[in-house]
Amino acid sequence: MARTLAMFTDVSLCIGCRACQVACKQWNELPAEEPEWTGTYQNHANFTDKTYRLVRFIEKKDEKNQLQWHLMFDVCKHCAQAGCLEACPTGAIYRTQYGTVNINQDICNGCRYCVSACPFGVVAFNHDTGRANKCTFCNDRIHNGLGPACAKACPTESIQFGFRDELAAKAQKRVVTLREMGYKNAQLYGEDQKGPLGGLNAFFLLLDRPSVYGLPEKPKLPQSNVYVDSLLSIGSAMLVGIGAVVAFRERGGKGDS
Amino acid sequence: MEPGLLKSADWPLLIDLYFFLGGIAGGAFVIATIAHMLDSQRYRDVVRVGYYLALLAIIPAPIFLIVDLGVPSRFLHMMMVAKPDPAIGAGAVSIGPFHLKLLSPMNVGAWALLGFSLFAFLAALGVFLEDTKRAQNLGTFRVVVGVIGGFFGFFIAAYPGVLLGATARPLFVSAHWLGAMFVAVGLATGGAAIALIMASMGAQARDALSRLMKVTAFALIIELVTLILFLVTVSGAGSAGISRALSVLVSGQYSVAFWLGIVVVGLLVPLALQFGGAIKKANPVMVALISVLVLLGGFLAKWVIIGAGQVVLS
Repeated sequence: MARTLAMFTDVSLCIGCRACQVACKQWNELPAEEPEWTGTYQNHANFTDKTYRLVRFIEKKDEKNQLQWHLMFDVCKHCAQAGCLEACPTGAIYRTQYGTVNINQDICNGCRYCVSACPFGVVAFNHDTGRANKCTFCNDRIHNGLGPACAKACPTESIQFGFRDELAAKAQKRVVTLREMGYKNAQLYGEDQKGPLGGLNAFFLLLDRPSVYGLPEKPKLPQSNVYVDSLLSIGSAMLVGIGAVVAFRERGGKGDS
Repeated sequence: MEPGLLKSADWPLLIDLYFFLGGIAGGAFVIATIAHMLDSQRYRDVVRVGYYLALLAIIPAPIFLIVDLGVPSRFLHMMMVAKPDPAIGAGAVSIGPFHLKLLSPMNVGAWALLGFSLFAFLAALGVFLEDTKRAQNLGTFRVVVGVIGGFFGFFIAAYPGVLLGATARPLFVSAHWLGAMFVAVGLATGGAAIALIMASMGAQARDALSRLMKVTAFALIIELVTLILFLVTVSGAGSAGISRALSVLVSGQYSVAFWLGIVVVGLLVPLALQFGGAIKKANPVMVALISVLVLLGGFLAKWVIIGAGQVVLS
């Protein structure tokens, strides 16, 4: 396996220009969608089968009751332990040599299990093609050394793409700098490979708690439930099986059956 | 995660129907096997109805599942693809074009459905051959088919619950009891379906009807207990998003169907009637009534829980 590639998003540098969103649409030839009113400048409210990445515009009041504007470029996290990949019954979702997670459109049969298995609500079902879609980190570009279109388009280098270990070191230095500057809630999200989901290959530097950005504080691999759920099912099967054996073994009036 | 940002698979009624029929088929098969092994002569009708019912109930299953796919012609991809990728998951085993993904209940379920269908066919064939005197002394064959098929039957009844539990949907992500509950629903509805057929065929088999009511009553008790454990586990998850998802089930748009349909009509009334004398007397009319209630409750258990879990909260 080649060195893992990753995307580091420093939200402190995002200016909300949405060049990344446009670049993604253009490179991936994704059609436009009807805009929707979300209460802020954000469009759309969430990922869709035609919007693989979006800038979240979050308004939050601080302790002085002043409105804060949080901007965040959101994208598929390409989790090291990916719920969509484990859920996929067909093997259409696979991990590339660079550690990214892709959906092979020639195999996907549109069962939609991955859609409900993503802890970040990223994977979307495309009703036109009958298949699931999501960000690929511009698979065609990264296999030709170009880097994803969004990272290329970002004018402030809020989005950086490269080798994961190098980006992680850069992120750790940056979070220290920001804390020294007074951003006491500055924190990394998904950078720790010993953390939830084995780390995210799209990790973030946030200026507030993950939940402020709509991110789960401790994302969980849904398939981790399979072991316990299966054991409980076996226990239940044994109980109802014993119940049936007892019912048919009990002595009773013979004859008319 | 803000629960409104999580997506839903939007599985339609067809999937609820498959889970319901799969439960009946699995439950009926298991009951027929147990009855056959304990006294094949005495419970001959139970065995016959159970095995035929298991086959008939499972026949529509693959059709429902295939129709629901975004690309139905690719249904075989559930089990095989021409060129499988080597990196398709932690629990994945590939042999030639075939793949088994142990952490994907949907993939394992597809294999189990294939296995169960085969054994349901063989079991029904065994009954048919002996009934029509085309073959005799099929004892060992029928026991082997019954036991192996019985394991598949339990699996077919249970795995939809494990499948739901392995999603990120707020109602399911912390609920560990759905598989256990669906096993009980399967046995209850399987037993009720056999009893309903036998009662409506006018069979004066009160002994068999009484025993089927006992099986059903016991399964309903397990269903009630696991349902309570499901509610307790989810409500104790301590997340605002999960609490909101639970409220859709117990006090929101699905609450009437949940409390009235699943709990009262599907569980409490049948149990009250059974322990109020229906098990002992096994009156065919009463047995038929109880069976209809249990089947209705069993269907609602699938429809309501899957529906409530799929509601995307704003």
